[in-house]
Order: sequence, then C-alpha cells, then structure tokens
Amino acid sequence: MKSIDIALQDMKRSYRSVVGLVFMFVLPLLTTTLFYFMFGNLASGGEFDLPVTRVIIADLDQGSPDLLTQLASAPGGLPAETLGEIVVLALQSEDLSDLLDVTLAADAAAARASVDRQQAEVAVIIPADFSRQFSTPQGQATLEFYQDPTLTIAPGIVRSILNRFLDGMAGTKITVEVAMREGGTGIASRIGEVVQLYLAVSLAQAEGSAAALIDVQPPGTTQEVSSPLVRIIGPIMGGMMIFYAFYTGFATAQSILREEEERTLPRLFTTPIPQAAILTGKLLAVFLTVLVQVVVLLIAAYVIFGIRWGEIAAVALMASGTVITASSFGVFFNSMLRSTRQSGALFGGVLTITGMIGMISIFVQGSPSAATLGNTVSLLVPQGWAVRAMVQAMDGAGAPTLGPALLGMLVWSAAFFAIGVWRFNRRYA
Amino acid sequence: MNAIQVENLYKSFGDVKAVQGVSFDVPQGEIFSLLGPNGAGKTTMILMLSCLLRPDDGDALVLGHSIRRDPMAVKSVLGVVPQEIALYEDLSAYENLTFWGKMYGLRGAPLRQRVDEVLEMIGLTDRANSRVAKYSGGMKRRVNIGLALLHKPQVIYMDEPTVGIDPQSRRSILDGVVAMKGRGTTVLYTTHYMEEAQELSDHIAILDHGQLIALGTHAELVRIVGGLDRITLTLSAESPLLLEAWRQVRGVQRISSEDGSVGLLVEDSNQVLPRLFDAAADHRVRITSVDILEPNLEAVFLHLTGRALRD
Repeated sequence: MKSIDIALQDMKRSYRSVVGLVFMFVLPLLTTTLFYFMFGNLASGGEFDLPVTRVIIADLDQGSPDLLTQLASAPGGLPAETLGEIVVLALQSEDLSDLLDVTLAADAAAARASVDRQQAEVAVIIPADFSRQFSTPQGQATLEFYQDPTLTIAPGIVRSILNRFLDGMAGTKITVEVAMREGGTGIASRIGEVVQLYLAVSLAQAEGSAAALIDVQPPGTTQEVSSPLVRIIGPIMGGMMIFYAFYTGFATAQSILREEEERTLPRLFTTPIPQAAILTGKLLAVFLTVLVQVVVLLIAAYVIFGIRWGEIAAVALMASGTVITASSFGVFFNSMLRSTRQSGALFGGVLTITGMIGMISIFVQGSPSAATLGNTVSLLVPQGWAVRAMVQAMDGAGAPTLGPALLGMLVWSAAFFAIGVWRFNRRYA
Repeated sequence: MNAIQVENLYKSFGDVKAVQGVSFDVPQGEIFSLLGPNGAGKTTMILMLSCLLRPDDGDALVLGHSIRRDPMAVKSVLGVVPQEIALYEDLSAYENLTFWGKMYGLRGAPLRQRVDEVLEMIGLTDRANSRVAKYSGGMKRRVNIGLALLHKPQVIYMDEPTVGIDPQSRRSILDGVVAMKGRGTTVLYTTHYMEEAQELSDHIAILDHGQLIALGTHAELVRIVGGLDRITLTLSAESPLLLEAWRQVRGVQRISSEDGSVGLLVEDSNQVLPRLFDAAADHRVRITSVDILEPNLEAVFLHLTGRALRD
C-alpha cells in the first residue's frame, strides 16, 4: 500500500511538471501533426490532395478498317471511331477528372512543345497507325509518352493508367491471335468485337480506379483504414509515442536521483518502510507514468488522426512491452548516474540516438532495399523492438505474431531492470 | 528508564574516523543535546541512530529496540528532523504532511485530523495549501519539523534544526522543542550553538573529532572549568607574537584565536587583564573590545580542546 502511495505521489509530481507534460503528450502529438500537415491536409478529411496532372494528347490515329464498324458505339455510348479515340476518351473519363486535366493537341510537335513550355506535365502521342497496328496480328501498337524529366509522380500516374488500359487490350489481342491460330483466319474480324467487349468490362470497372491507383496497401494489411494518409501517419505517431515513452521512462526514473538530492529519499528511509518497498514504489511510478502516457497517446492518436492501431490484444501486448521496456531503460540509465547534473548528456545523446536508431525501420518503409538493413539495425536498441511490435500490430498481426518482438523487449527489460535495481539497492544499502 | 542507550558506537569513512567509541544514555522525556563543532560526528551519530548508517561496531537501543537487529521497530517509534530541509517543494504543506503521514501508516479521518493538528502546531494553517517552494526559510523549517511529529513519536531526533533561519523562527522552533518535552517526548538534539544546548538541554554531550569529551548537565559541565573566567578580546591587528606572549602570562590557562578575536580562559580576570594590556602595548597592538563572561559551555569546550566552538 505504501509503495502505491509513493508511486501516486511521484505521478502527481510528474503531472504537475509543465515540461514533463509537454514531453509526455504535447511533443509526440505535435510532431505527428506536423507530419500530418506535411503529407496531407486536415481540411479534406484526411485524404490525399494529389495535384491534377495536365495531360496533352496528340491523337493522330487514323483508324483501321477492321475496327471501325465495331467501335462505332463504344462502351457507355461513347462515340469513337479509332482506338486512339478510345484512349483519349478513357483519359477524359469522369472517373479520372480529379487526377487528369486532358487537352488535345493538333500534332505531336505541339504536344511536346506544350510539355517543354511546362503547360502540361505529360504528352501522349498516339501514332497514325495505332489502330491498324493493333488490329494486325503481327503489328505492334505503341504510344509515345513525353514527360517533363523533373517530374515523377504526375507522369507515373498517367503511365500507370495507360499501362493498365493498354495491358488489357494487349492481353485481348494475344487471346485473339491464339484463337486465330487454332480456329483459322476468319476469326480476325472478331478482334474488334473482343476489344469492345474488353472495353465494356474494363471501363465498367473503371469506377473507383483512381483511388485504386494510389491505394498503397502495406504488406499483409487487414486494416479497415481507407485513408492512405493515416497509413503514413500511423507508424510515425507510433514511433513518436515510443520515442517519447523512453524519454518519460528516463525522466520519471530520475525522480530517484532528484529525491536523493532533495533529501526526501533519505528521509523516506527513516520511515518504517522497507527499502525494497520504497524502491518498488519508485519503479511503479515510472511504469504507471509511462503506461498512462502510452494509453493516452494511443487513444488521442485514434481520435485526432483516426489511426487504427490493430487488434486489441496485439495493441495491448505492444503497449505493455513498450511501457516495460521504456521504464526499465529509465531505471537502468539513472542507476548509472551519480546525480541529475549528469543526465543532460544522456537526455540529449543516448536517448535521441537510440530513439532514432529504433525508428530507422519506419523511415525506410518506402524503400524495400533499405528496409531489410533498417529493420536489422533498429533491433540493436530496445526502441527498435517496440517499433517492430507496433508496426506488426498496425499491419493487423495477431498477438501470437508479436511474440518475437515482445520477447526481444522482455529480454532488454529484464537486463535493464536487473542491473538498475541491483545498482540502486547497492547504492542505498 | 532510558529512551536511548548508546553503547560504544564506531563509524569510519575510509581513513576518517567519524565516531569513535561513543556511549551515552538518554533518559525518557528529556532533551539531550549533542554539542560540537562542524565535523564533530553529530550527524553521523544521528544517521546511525536513525538506522540510515550501519555502525562499524557497537549498538544502540531506542526504546529497547536495537538499531542493528530491529531497525524497523526503531524507525516506527522515531521522528527524524534532518539537518537539510527535506520537503517536496512543488507540493503544498498539506500535501507534504498527508504524504508523510501515510508513510507512517496514518489513513483517512485520523490522518486528516492529525495533519490539521500539526499545521496548527507549526502555525501554518493559513498557508497550508500554498506550495512549499513559496515559503520562507523559517516556514520550511517548521514544515520540516512538522513532518516528524505526525505519528506522535516517542523519540525525536533533531539535527541542527535552526541552521540558517531568522531569530523569530529560531525562537519558535526552540519553544516547540520545549513543548515536545512537555508532552513527554524524548528529544535528541544536535547543535553547534552553545546557547541552544544551554537553554534546552537536561543533559549535554560534547563531541569533538568523533569522541565524547564531556557529558553532564549544564551545571556539571561548567564545573569542569571551575572558577576560570572566559575573556574575549578584539584586536586592531592579528599578531602571533602577541598571542605567544599572552600564553606566557601568569594566570592564562587556554587561548584560541579566530578572525581578530581572541578567547582566553583565565584564573582571575581582574588580575590577568592588566598584564594582557601591557603585553599588547609592548607589541604595539590595540585592544578594541573586552568581554568577560561567566563560565559557560564555550569555556568548557575551550578548556577541553584548546579550540573555540565556532558558529
């Protein structure tokens, strides 16, 4: 009971410290908010506002006798006489209007010049024989793609849309050619019908295609989260939470040294409370303070940013592991100090460096080649194991999947705790 | 019956012998002072008797409980007022008292009642909810003492509780100590202020360099110096040669010097003083003030150690 009184007393003092509150709650949320604004904006409800890509098309396609009749009534009642017009209509479709602003050029040179003058990001030049090449069994229908070399995202989106569109048609053509080899040349006249059928299906599915193109799902995700922004912000918020949980663990454990300097700890030792109970109270305060911080941040991040942390059991395990590791980390490092005056270097140095190493795996998420190395390096510090558990929980992993990461955290914690408690006991023996 | 029995305590820190074979008894209900200059071993004694330091040798019984074998029992009957102010300055006096009351096992209504009583005793009821950081030094000292009274201990240790405070607060604390005695509490009081020990104590133990050099009531101790007079002279300039000359003057027993002030123990001040003035004139040093005092603890310490009890 007295241990709990000591713990509650320490917590009361921690929560009365403005600096402590800033480090515990404000900075993690503030940092994440900055990232939130960096990657998107709150006004649009958490969705990305990708800039509209200006596309200029020079449709020089003169059609093909084999395709003309069949394409006269394109899917959706669109009037098209050539395959080139189909491409133009596809890019001008209502579904892509949020992504693409399509204009037409009279010829290829005008289209390229428009890109050169930065009036458009991408020029698509459909050659005169585009339909004919497509309808010829051995023909190769190609589009010219002309882009501003300094841009990557906008041309990538257009290229992605076109690739998807053309890959489907190419597949159709291969199907027809195989059928021709098997069933005779008479089937060649069916190419147009097959293409039309493909377009009917393809364009009917086009609704929502814009969203699909930018829907970058993390590996193995089962989350219900629809906003990609939240999926970017989530790990960052989790990383910040872990980073500052370790700060809190360190700062709260420092109350042991601070009370020694304030002489309240020696005074506590004059009361009829065993030393073990006093230290237990102190350690309990560290644990509970970090626990409150983590729980508040988990809930606040869910409410403010809409971050889904994963299954309840997995999140509970991840949070518990983080709290235990951060607390024992604080106890260990403070046990190494002679006084609070020595803590500046640790606050500024060790905590920041280990925190950054632990979060490497978050920063390199978008780079598969660096991710492996990043994930390995981050495990050199206890924060890395907490980050791994957090990412796994966010990916929808169940509690059993978090086992290795939790084990890693527990091993770190056990070592830190044992050394820290041993040193403090010896110090006050 | 003795509240405290100290039996041959020893404590060293490396080569420094802080306490060397000290023994004394403190009868129940008394104020017992440990008097000595800084570094005499008073605080080390208090730390050992509070079970915060383990003696190298010897033992002490507090209300029959051994500090070696049963420290928890000792702590439960003790109230300790440490030399330094040991408070949570970011909390109020009320919060401090409530917390420390819990540490001594008080809960609920009895705790609240006792906190109110102690606030009344230390005269801080009106400021109970202000943060301690905003208190004056004297107010902090009073809270520091109040914490030790919460559980109504039978024995209280007070380690130099009046250091660095204003005369008014000092008076208030000394009155409080007398009041404790009035309630039957045994007080072990350490100080290097001779006047405090003289005013408060039933018995006084004088410590120097970790050793007990004298023990008794004030009257018993003063008798050690017999009919010697204590003279304090202030000089216009320091002069080692003059001090050496004074040592040779007939009737001078002891002499000590500090910051232009010279303390002497002499057999008969009326006869010795003219000789002292003559010697000063010979050495061209002017005596700017003279104080002749009745024998006191300062004289006792000077007599026993050859040194002054410095503030």
